[in-house]
Amino acid sequence: MSCPAVLRLREIRVLYENRTVLDGLDLDVHRGEIVCLAGRNGCGKSTTLRVAAGILDPSSGTAEIEGILRSQNPDHYARQLGFVPQESALYEDLTAVQNLEFFGKLYGIRGYVLDSRISKTLARANLSNRAHDRVRDFSGGMKRRLNISLAMLHEPVVLLLDEPTAGLDAESRFQLYDSLQILRNEGHAILLTTHHLEELDDCCDRIAHLENGQVSFMGDSLSFQRSQRTGRPVLFGQLQSPIPKFLERRIRKRLDDEVELEVIGRRVRISAWNTEEIGRSLALLLSEGVIFESFRSTINQMQPVLEAA
Amino acid sequence: MFSTVLTLAGKDWRLFWSDRRAALLCFLIPIILASAFGMIFDRPDPASDMPKLQLLVAVENETPAYRLLIDDLEQSDRVDIELIPIQDIEERLRERRGGVAVILPEQFDSKVGRPRLAIRYHPLAQLEAQWAEGVMTELIMKRIARESFGPVVGAWINEKPLEVTSEIVAGPRAQFNSYSHSFCGMTLQYLFFWGMESGLMLLRERRQSAWQRLRSAPVSLMAILLGKVLSTATIALLQVMVVFFFGYLVFGITIDGSLWAFIGIALAISLLSASTGLLVAALGGSEARARSISILAILTVSMLGGLWLPSFLLPEWLQKLSHAFPTSWAMKALDGATWQGRSFLESVPHLLVVLSFASVFMIVAFRFFYRSERIQRRGRHD
Repeated sequence: MSCPAVLRLREIRVLYENRTVLDGLDLDVHRGEIVCLAGRNGCGKSTTLRVAAGILDPSSGTAEIEGILRSQNPDHYARQLGFVPQESALYEDLTAVQNLEFFGKLYGIRGYVLDSRISKTLARANLSNRAHDRVRDFSGGMKRRLNISLAMLHEPVVLLLDEPTAGLDAESRFQLYDSLQILRNEGHAILLTTHHLEELDDCCDRIAHLENGQVSFMGDSLSFQRSQRTGRPVLFGQLQSPIPKFLERRIRKRLDDEVELEVIGRRVRISAWNTEEIGRSLALLLSEGVIFESFRSTINQMQPVLEAA
Repeated sequence: MFSTVLTLAGKDWRLFWSDRRAALLCFLIPIILASAFGMIFDRPDPASDMPKLQLLVAVENETPAYRLLIDDLEQSDRVDIELIPIQDIEERLRERRGGVAVILPEQFDSKVGRPRLAIRYHPLAQLEAQWAEGVMTELIMKRIARESFGPVVGAWINEKPLEVTSEIVAGPRAQFNSYSHSFCGMTLQYLFFWGMESGLMLLRERRQSAWQRLRSAPVSLMAILLGKVLSTATIALLQVMVVFFFGYLVFGITIDGSLWAFIGIALAISLLSASTGLLVAALGGSEARARSISILAILTVSMLGGLWLPSFLLPEWLQKLSHAFPTSWAMKALDGATWQGRSFLESVPHLLVVLSFASVFMIVAFRFFYRSERIQRRGRHD
């Protein structure tokens, strides 16, 4: 990136109790760029986002947006960013407009400007016809759209999204990725966390992989995919319904010790030493009655896997 | 910061009115409670409405001397007697079909020596037992006087030996209105419950994602807390106004003292309600724990502060202890401004004490919130 970074995290250290979660993390996000934080559960993705959002004070290190240090000017810093927590961060008993008015006024937006921003935000969330309905009457997808759009109300430079795709179906996820690309093209800097790395090929510009509290890999999604491929082959699957716990335990017992199985809701991740082992694991899941909606793999051709299955 | 505080308070007002039925109940419940308490203790004409003591009487051996005393008891306008066999007394008292019984023993005769009688009572009827002793003493004394000094003196002594005039001195109307007292007490009690509810809402809000969004916005913790105080106190003030307006319209409750004193105390107790709510949120921990502890605390301080019944009915040590509670001072101030007819200057000491309690509660709550914020910003849970 030739232009200077708008969000700069430097030497961030965060300690929980006696555990080091972030250990001197450095991260830059530029205008017109989407950076995705990746890594295993508990590696510090959400913590990084919370430090960037100013909710968490690091033990040491600095967070700055366009040269404004959070530690020196927290209010000015806060005005430059929009934060979207993982769950719906809305007042459910208020209407969509009342939520937008409330948060807009907190950012000092008033009068005609606020009205026009609210109209624009509702249109962006495709909720103009539900403006005066209470949020608690919205569907999960509508809440999610409003949740994200609300963070854009004050037109921040940096947008931080914690697991924005969690709980969304495939169609809603792709709609979200489209929206993020529009925001990127408008010049916003976007930092997000997600488990759906396999779907971010076209969406993310760079992926920051966290390990041991530091960025262990930083690069575009292609390089990231390549780096993943040099290791074990991985198969990502979308299930028709979550696997019951007893069935998951049974499958794990029958799987080879070298095979890693990760189940998160309706998502499955299988990694093994070779494609044959992946194929055998897939066959085992199918034989236990697990139904896949779709699957994709880091393996160039799926044929060997399917043959093995 | 002022506009931010107003925005935050406005949000709380909108949330309060979002459930209109619940909001309406916030005004109705103190009105219903105050009306019920007022009706229970209402004595429009104390002289004509004097309750009579229900007295069980048992006689061991019926003699002319007993007969005369029973006649006196039957003619008395202060007791209703029922003659029962002596062996039934215990059962009647145990089953609470009568609170107190008098047994006239076999040797009862004023001419023989000092007359004796026995009183039996249920543990809950101690006051009635003392009342019965007083009535019996009076009747026996009169009977002895008549027998000792003859019919002339006896006729004189049958009348009251002195003429008594009674006058209520608190309030220009010189008339205690039980509705005034119960409206003051129940309004005050409900303000504490409203404060608690507001504190619990804050605890709930802090666990929601909207709180994270709020904390990432350019809003200081001070603004958030002041916004909460402002919204809770203004809603509490509206409750005071609505409840007392209802009391004025339906039960004729008036501000017999200084109107400014009433306005001052209404503001002070609204602030006290808000600061109590913040204290609940600051010290309560979890919502369930905070709710249980605050209900216990509110009911205790309400009872000891004289919000249910006048505090002079309490034992002396409890009356002294009640000075440690804000409810006691707030109740005195409200009673003073309404039916006791106190001036503004007379109300100032009570007003200052209530404001002091509100300030101390707020300072403690703010300190705890800042401490909790510091801990949470370091990624730990307090």
